[in-house]
Amino acid sequence: MPKRKLDPLPSAAFQILLSLAGEDLHGYGIMRQVAEQTGGRMRLGPGTLYSSIQSLLEENFIEEVEARQDVRLGHERRRYYRLTSAGRKLARSEADRLAGWLRVARAKKILRGDYV
Amino acid sequence: MSEKIYALLLRLYPSHFRDAYGEAALQLFRDRARDEKGFFPTLRLWLDLLGDLAVSVPREYRHVHAALLAASASQRLGGPPSFFVLEDESPRPGAFFFGGVLTLLALAGFSMGINQAGSYAGNVTIWSGESRATSWRPSVAKASPFESRWRSMLERLRISQPRAWQMKPVAADRAMKGAAGAAMKLDAAERQLVIDGAIANVKVHYVDRDVAQKVAQALRAHEKNGDDNAATDGGAFADLLTRQMRDVSHDMHLMMVYSESKIPDRRPEPTPEELAAYRNAMKQDNCTFETLKILPHNIGYLKLNSFPDPSVCQSTATAAMASLNHADAVIFDLRDNRGGHPKMVALIAAYLFDHPEYWYNPREETTRQSWTASPVPGNKLADKPVYVLTSGSTFSGAEQFSYDLKMLKRATLVGETTRGGAHAGVFHRIDEHFGMGIPEVQAINPFSTADWAGVGVEPDVKVKAADALEAAQKLAESNLRKK
Repeated sequence: MPKRKLDPLPSAAFQILLSLAGEDLHGYGIMRQVAEQTGGRMRLGPGTLYSSIQSLLEENFIEEVEARQDVRLGHERRRYYRLTSAGRKLARSEADRLAGWLRVARAKKILRGDYV
Repeated sequence: MSEKIYALLLRLYPSHFRDAYGEAALQLFRDRARDEKGFFPTLRLWLDLLGDLAVSVPREYRHVHAALLAASASQRLGGPPSFFVLEDESPRPGAFFFGGVLTLLALAGFSMGINQAGSYAGNVTIWSGESRATSWRPSVAKASPFESRWRSMLERLRISQPRAWQMKPVAADRAMKGAAGAAMKLDAAERQLVIDGAIANVKVHYVDRDVAQKVAQALRAHEKNGDDNAATDGGAFADLLTRQMRDVSHDMHLMMVYSESKIPDRRPEPTPEELAAYRNAMKQDNCTFETLKILPHNIGYLKLNSFPDPSVCQSTATAAMASLNHADAVIFDLRDNRGGHPKMVALIAAYLFDHPEYWYNPREETTRQSWTASPVPGNKLADKPVYVLTSGSTFSGAEQFSYDLKMLKRATLVGETTRGGAHAGVFHRIDEHFGMGIPEVQAINPFSTADWAGVGVEPDVKVKAADALEAAQKLAESNLRKK
């Protein structure tokens, strides 16, 4: 299978890692979580969502756990994904990297203090 | 409905992606569609989906390609050639189906190409014996004298397979259509080349040197006057040159022809296999002596669908004529006969005379061979009434048989006017698309100034081809009663 480059980490992949930080989620759950945590700015379409999931699975940043129903959404069995420790580490380093840029931005007085 | 549309759109993704996540993607679509109802949410959903497709489909394919290139690069340097499989699953049944269809199409295209290229192979040398100018060939449809001769020219070039000799007009029709399309655009250089070629060929080959000189001068004069400059269409240009040549020569057999498909450089000699195949085909078809029987009132009936090569079919022909020997009248049914070998035409005609008879063939120089080999020993048909059944398909050699017997008042023709093919010129190639018919021989027509070329042979008794046999039988019967 083709390898996808996760370096630099695409923002969709980063958001997926973040969405899984709290709990295991299925695809639609991830999509809604990402929409929520980005204030509705990022609505992952199925193609982008699953190709990102595929890349993250290949690199063992997330893993698939046992499929099960989501009673709120009906009786269909759904594939659930869980963040691995490598994924958590990757998300942390990405957040650190962004935080570094944020510091730069703040030092350049592009950002005002009340944002972060 | 909208789910079906999205399912179709999902087919844009590579199969490995569809297999892994197609169902999940559809599920996600259903979830969103269920949760986002109303006009604007639905609109937003579709905008999201389309935007997502636009971004993610190319990315999926790009990744596949990159992975393949990376995988193959290191292995290609040495060792035997190898194939790289794009997908790690088996191809779908549909892929086999389309692969099969594509292969068939490619094969069909290839064989059509071959047929087209090979269709000018030299039947002339196969079927005409000693003379290039003596092979009768089938043609198609009623046409102007020009068109008819032109077709004949092409046909004489094109028939290469023994089965083609079975007088199927389809192949000729196809050639005709190709040429009639005449899509080629001419430029000044091409016109020059054709005119030069025409002049050179006429000077060398035309039967009358003085006329040849006049034709050459006329062509050159027209060229200098700029009369040809307007012609950019191959067919129209050939027509124009034909008119220019005929204006001075008054010879309807002198002509320029244009072929949209390429005219090959040389006529290939028939291979032993082709000759063997011809013999085989003739054997199977009883040399096209389709029906031979004695009708009531002892009227002999022979349905002959061609005039086959005597070197193959002479014994069949003599046997057929021998079995008619005691008939009181003979009906030759040539309604499906589209020609063949002049020697066979003359061979059969010989039975109908008790003395050598001048046997006119517009494509052969008048020689000793131009008389029938009559009388045939033991033959009793020389003074029996003869009827020839004709149709609009009766062509070429069959027309010669009908025409000569009619002119000699030796037979009564019953049926329809024949098709009208008496190509008297020999074809000379000028270039890939142009060639010309040039009469190289002087045949003496003792009957008339014009033969049946382009106009056909008129029957003595005009009836529909389907009714011709019945009409001829009645004629024969009443004729026999009088005796």
